[in-house]
Amino acid sequence: MASPRIIMKLKVVATRKEPGDVLVVELQHPRKPLLPAFEPGSHVDVHLSDGRVRQYSLCGDPADLSRYTIAVKREPEGRGGSTWLHAAVCVGAELPVSAPRNHFPLKQGNWPVLLLAGGIGITPLLAMAGVLNRQGKPFELHYFTRGRAVAPFLAVIEQVVDRSKLRLHFDDDPETRQDIEALLSTRPSDAQVYYCGPPGFMAAIARASEHWPEGSVHFEAFQPALLDDAPPEPFTIILRNGTEIFVPADTSALSAIRAAGVLLMASCENGVCGTCECGFLEGQPIHRDAVLSKDARSHRFMPCVSRATGVLRLDL
Amino acid sequence: MTWQGRLLHIHIAPAASYEMEELAEAQLIAGRGIVGDRYFLGTGTYSPKPDVREVTLIEVEVLEAMAKGQPKIPGFKAELAPEDHRRNLTTRGVPLGHLVGKRFRVGDTILRAARMNFPCRYIEELLGMPGLYEGLLNRSGLNCTIEFGGIIRPGDPILPMDE
Repeated sequence: MASPRIIMKLKVVATRKEPGDVLVVELQHPRKPLLPAFEPGSHVDVHLSDGRVRQYSLCGDPADLSRYTIAVKREPEGRGGSTWLHAAVCVGAELPVSAPRNHFPLKQGNWPVLLLAGGIGITPLLAMAGVLNRQGKPFELHYFTRGRAVAPFLAVIEQVVDRSKLRLHFDDDPETRQDIEALLSTRPSDAQVYYCGPPGFMAAIARASEHWPEGSVHFEAFQPALLDDAPPEPFTIILRNGTEIFVPADTSALSAIRAAGVLLMASCENGVCGTCECGFLEGQPIHRDAVLSKDARSHRFMPCVSRATGVLRLDL
Repeated sequence: MTWQGRLLHIHIAPAASYEMEELAEAQLIAGRGIVGDRYFLGTGTYSPKPDVREVTLIEVEVLEAMAKGQPKIPGFKAELAPEDHRRNLTTRGVPLGHLVGKRFRVGDTILRAARMNFPCRYIEELLGMPGLYEGLLNRSGLNCTIEFGGIIRPGDPILPMDE
């Protein structure tokens, strides 16, 4: 299970709009000069006023701990968090923000790195690109958006990434389009790929990188994967102490486990943050999350969104 | 047993996991807790054991011993700042371990020590300090009820009442 993180009431010290209906928010600690350290790929939990929690990547420079920078794309069709933040966040406001957590670490090495960003998925990769660029490591940042006019952070990217390492792909500019299958068809020796973006983009990269070896493909999603249309079925969870918990079709495993009196921490309840992760010992899970690697899926489980067939023994 | 101690720091947090904030003065409400703190507001983390934590205290002497590496815990040395230990009151010169069941004064208020505090793994996970649980075993402070409320401030004397 993911460990709890300290929550800090941070002050909003600057906001600005970026193309694509993106609000950039800079946060500082009201009493301390430095915030907890973070690595590229890290995210923070932002606690909304109604108790809901949302995850945002830290897209600033990890070497500058005087402030955190997050970027929030307004999703009018979303669950309401981004709309609230766009409406409520202004300079001087206070936002409860957790210490950073990293499910998307950049592996250390001298191999070539391919960073693939779809739209607002640029945020974790921006921090990675800045660090790789400074370290003089071999990398390419491919940034896919609908068009230059709606691409957040273009000016920042052009500042922190050498032009020779930057590839911009705009849907509305046929000359810049890039076929993802072709891009990933051959793997340069030891290359590692990191990607983040909306569900359709994530699915396309996952398909195109299927032949890359385990451990060379890394991703982070901030929305759950595109689900198949199979309606959820009821199943049973058995805990280590033998307790049986029935999970009805219309209830999440997380809710059922909590209703049985087990304290299980959770945050996004959307299969993207990893807070409620636990182990499973036996059974056939139906993984619905966007966090676990292929390898982890053999023994780990995200009860907020994932389900199972029949009986699932959890390591809880 | 004669002793006389002093209140060094007051900290509260608005909810479980929130960073502790230092106060220059705090209002203690009898039977409730410290105004603004998670255990006053009902937003804290509670133990399934019988739980009393209107006010929790810890000795600064414990923090000083841990900083010196006493006891030796392989790979562990904790510089635990007063805002990190998650107890409300940091004291000096108060034998907290001797006070269970007894009343004592903090400034103008009266507390009754209900039980020793039990450390839990949660704090070491929250602070990212593996080994902190062992470091705090048997000395993670005192949980108290408030018998007589009032305003307290750092520097207030802490005095025994019941012998």
